[in-house]
Amino acid sequence: MPDKKDFIIDDKARAPKSTTPSKVTIPENTEAIGALIAVEIDGHKLKVPMGTTILEAAKKIGITIPTLCHHEDLCVAGVCRICVVEVEGMRTLQASCAYPITSPINVKTHTRKVRRARRHILDLLLSNHVGECYSCVRNNNCELQSLAKEYGVDFYRFGKRTEPVHGKDNSSYSIARDMDKCILCRRCIRTCIDLQEVGVYDAVNKGDKTKIGMFLDKQMSEQICINCGQCINRCPVGALKGNDPSDIVWDAIDDPKKHVVMQTAPAPRAGIGECFGLEPGTPLTYEMNTALKLCGFDRVFDTNFTADLTIIEEGVELIQRLYGALVEKKSNVALPQFTSCSPGWIKYIEHFKPEMLAHVSSAKSPQQMFGAVIKTYYAQLHNIDPADIVTVALMPCTAKKFECNRPEMTDSGYKDVDFGLTTRELAQMFKEAGIELPKLEKTPFDNPFGDRTGSGVIFGATGGVMEAAIRTVYELVTGKKVENLFDHADIIPVRGMEGIKYAELPITEVGPVPDIIKHLIPDWNWLKGATLKVAVCHGTANAKKVLENIEQGGKLSECHFIEFMACPGGCLGGGGMPIPTNEEIRKARARAIYAEDSESTVRKSHENPDVLKLYQEFLTEGPCGHKSHKLLHTHYTARGKKIV
Amino acid sequence: MQAISMESLQKDFTELKAKYGDDRSALLPILQDLQEKYRYLSDLILQETAHTLGLHPVEVEGVASFYSFFKTKEQQGKYVIRLCQTISCDLEGKANVARQLENELGIKFGETTKDHMFTLEYTNCLGMCDQGPAMMINDRLFAKVTPAKVSKIIADCRNEYIKSDFPKVVPSDVKKSGPILEHGVIAGEGLKKALEMKRPDIIYHIRQSGLKGRGGAGFPTSIKWQLAAAAKDEQKYVVCNADEGEPGTFKDRYLLFNHTDMLLDGMTIAAYVLGATKGFIYLRGEYLYMKKFLEEKLQERKQMGLLGDNILGKEGFNFHLQLRMGAGAYVCGEETALIESLEGERGEPRNRPPFPVDTGFQGHPTAVNNVETFIDAALICAKGHEWFSEHGTEQSKGTKLFSISGHCDNPGIYELPYGITIREMLKEVGGEDAKAVQVGGASGQCIPAKDFDRAIAYEDASSGGSIIVFGPNTDMLKVAKNFMEFFTEESCGQCTPCRDGNPKLLEGIHKLEKGRCSYSYLKELINLGETMQIASKCGLGQSSANAFISIMTNFQSEVLGRVPEKE
Repeated sequence: MPDKKDFIIDDKARAPKSTTPSKVTIPENTEAIGALIAVEIDGHKLKVPMGTTILEAAKKIGITIPTLCHHEDLCVAGVCRICVVEVEGMRTLQASCAYPITSPINVKTHTRKVRRARRHILDLLLSNHVGECYSCVRNNNCELQSLAKEYGVDFYRFGKRTEPVHGKDNSSYSIARDMDKCILCRRCIRTCIDLQEVGVYDAVNKGDKTKIGMFLDKQMSEQICINCGQCINRCPVGALKGNDPSDIVWDAIDDPKKHVVMQTAPAPRAGIGECFGLEPGTPLTYEMNTALKLCGFDRVFDTNFTADLTIIEEGVELIQRLYGALVEKKSNVALPQFTSCSPGWIKYIEHFKPEMLAHVSSAKSPQQMFGAVIKTYYAQLHNIDPADIVTVALMPCTAKKFECNRPEMTDSGYKDVDFGLTTRELAQMFKEAGIELPKLEKTPFDNPFGDRTGSGVIFGATGGVMEAAIRTVYELVTGKKVENLFDHADIIPVRGMEGIKYAELPITEVGPVPDIIKHLIPDWNWLKGATLKVAVCHGTANAKKVLENIEQGGKLSECHFIEFMACPGGCLGGGGMPIPTNEEIRKARARAIYAEDSESTVRKSHENPDVLKLYQEFLTEGPCGHKSHKLLHTHYTARGKKIV
Repeated sequence: MQAISMESLQKDFTELKAKYGDDRSALLPILQDLQEKYRYLSDLILQETAHTLGLHPVEVEGVASFYSFFKTKEQQGKYVIRLCQTISCDLEGKANVARQLENELGIKFGETTKDHMFTLEYTNCLGMCDQGPAMMINDRLFAKVTPAKVSKIIADCRNEYIKSDFPKVVPSDVKKSGPILEHGVIAGEGLKKALEMKRPDIIYHIRQSGLKGRGGAGFPTSIKWQLAAAAKDEQKYVVCNADEGEPGTFKDRYLLFNHTDMLLDGMTIAAYVLGATKGFIYLRGEYLYMKKFLEEKLQERKQMGLLGDNILGKEGFNFHLQLRMGAGAYVCGEETALIESLEGERGEPRNRPPFPVDTGFQGHPTAVNNVETFIDAALICAKGHEWFSEHGTEQSKGTKLFSISGHCDNPGIYELPYGITIREMLKEVGGEDAKAVQVGGASGQCIPAKDFDRAIAYEDASSGGSIIVFGPNTDMLKVAKNFMEFFTEESCGQCTPCRDGNPKLLEGIHKLEKGRCSYSYLKELINLGETMQIASKCGLGQSSANAFISIMTNFQSEVLGRVPEKE
């Protein structure tokens, strides 16, 4: 199977020029390009590839230089100046994060001048940092606080502002902002513009009036924001946080009349351990079930169940679109079909490319399908008044908070999902309840949605939805095991952290049409000899490139199905996941997710017995049938870019 | 005044894109034209400009809010009065003019009259330091304004300047010229000689002359040009830094008007040396009244074959020069900030390395030089390097134009050789009784009388040309306050030491004014100033504490323990 081949998209960085990484084309010694350069750092001699920054070089020999504006996911800024070091022969100190080594230098990282400068910088930042650590969501996980401790700050040298000047902005369902805590590192700007191409933030004004602004100082809820929360994950302090509903969730738990049902998405289980001091990538799926019961949740289900359901609904929708276009020769079929599980992505396309909304699968996200199923099927099954059911969703995501509050997400007759909790917020609830998560016993998920497949789990990683879809579609169409094509059913071409991935799947033979969709498709002959073309992207900056490529009739316009995830790395890099984040951490979380898939007994969505049962007992018209459409599908709003 | 509608804007954008292009570097000129037409940048203008150029609205707002000449949120008056608040005008009685302006208009600074006729604002240095207090009304300059003249000026505005007594152009005041100002070279002469030379020979002459950057940093011009010439790129740029914003500097204003051809010769020679085909003159927004003149000059040179394609008949030597206006941001005098500004960004200095000679405008090798540097280079090509280097000191060759203002009998422009002592200079200008001299503008150092034997030269007291004399009765704390207010406002705001440090120093001055600052806290602030000097990102931040440190060190008994005056 050919993969990732000759696939190039123009990759012009949209970052402000001053913050794009340094390019070095004329070193003093041109023969040294690509060569190793000798440097001396605090007396250690080492050789580094040309262009390595002083910060990276120091790291190699175990010297930690403090940073605040630097972030591994983002381009260089060099603005906080906390990372300054002395370079022999230079009058001024140099920002080690922004200084590429191009000739032999001698660096000293903690001289008197350097220590004093860093202390002054901390003193300055602290003097404008309003708020007390103990009333801050980032207490004990704050980069400014850690540095203050490391540098022995025990008084405010230049005083301390106590009165807020900006005030708090809690207008958004997803992201809360407290600019009085902001230290102007500009990570949120670089995240929002470079990684996500959304552009909610930029620096406005100059001099001492400089602040991180949003357009015309309008509230967060009025901005063109996709709620992805990537800015929260990269904020070094508590200036940005999720809008936390845990107090109301506790109220529901405490209310004996309420039947509180939790669904847990795949990504949080791979990351929540980080909130308890464990290494990234330590899965705590079943310990978390125990903890949720200890907290008082009445039922704990796995969102993977509806992930499998999504694959069926979305897969059948794809097949219908293909049939419409290829066999019925309908002219109005939008292909490629786009996935719809990432609410950040949905809001992105609603704002930035509403003219392409017809491409988006109408299938709801697994979170919302679950909510609708719980307040209908589950309520009937257990004879509970849906009005008394409170559905809570544990998500890696801040955009899910917005999604569950969309007015159209009430198909059960009630608000389908009442609250979205992030991984961080649930960890906080566990701590409040005195639960030491890693030490708990394991508990399985509750029935009737206890069965789920490995395909559902991998929804948490970029490429996971596509992998699950390929497993199912291939087997439904060919009647053959996907293992014939991919060892262990691991669809490697769609895995990994590459921004845009592309794969082709030749369908050389076809089998009989399975019962579940017999009423929709007479046979598969029309697919014989076809090649299914798919692509996967994550991070909305990549989504933008993909959309532009399709619009321009590029290679991706030939695709049949494309997976879009708003967050870099997919859900495991979501805006509700533990802080910090970087590619290494995201890869570790991905390993945990793929391991859980690998260990699953059932690994393909269409083999999930509980999903099949749901179609037999409840959604009796089958996938994409009338009831499915009412409960499991949705519509979108062309929002556009205008800020009013 | 024009009404703003979607339709009118769409029409504007079609024209503006044709004029300035549709990439981000068109942003400033587009905003400038729209600001002029609609007198402010409304929500709709900001958003539509963003969508036209493929930017996010907040990015456009970020740019608009960075430059003081742009106005968002509310409409400006038909006449925008900008009174200079910088040190020299301050010493000449700006406060009284300000008060009278408020009295006449019935508004405070920062406000607009109800009839939308007048907006009253402060601005930083108009380059009229020897003829202060100065103010600017739209593109017109007013020098030596007194409170008594204020009502007449306002009345003139109301009459659209018909029968105005005030001169349309305020001439500069040259008090002493030397070999540079009396060069006797005609347009194209230096350029012609340069084109007869091989490129390395031009660099050789510049190197031998010892010419260093006249903006103040003193980087050898020959090395800058050589590096940019050696850089491998299809496209290179030559940029003239005409963003003369250093308080107390006004010599470029004179040069731009009176030695324009030498400047353009110099830029064209640089283009030839580098292999650059495009260039910009980045003219500060405060010099808007020169725009038309310079644009006509460029046109004229094109007709004379001194700009454009095949210059002076030299096959394949093409150089196209554009005038770009700044919009009121001091920091844009820093070369990387200037390049950012040209690119349509906030004028925030870049990380260095890489340097502009390698990665400049839109990533291409770019040589940025001061107005005077280009003129010197053109004259060196015309007259030879010996002519230039016979003046000055070993490390500071040539003569230099100085803008001298403050408490002296004869403020104005002086051409003097490098190496001259402050004492000699004061004698020249009639300011012998000075208690201190600010050398190098707000970012320079304040030299007390005991050190008047120091020489003005790169190796000693370095200056880009600004000399401000403080007479015996000057309150040095007020001087320090003026400078710190300036930097607090003009810091680009990106790096911590400069953005947050300058306000702390200013707060310290407020404490000193009240007589409530301990010696130990003053020492803390001086230490902080020293950190700012070495830890800030750019030259502005690194030099913003200079004056504070020298005043607080040299005039300690004057600033400490004050008993505040009662209002």
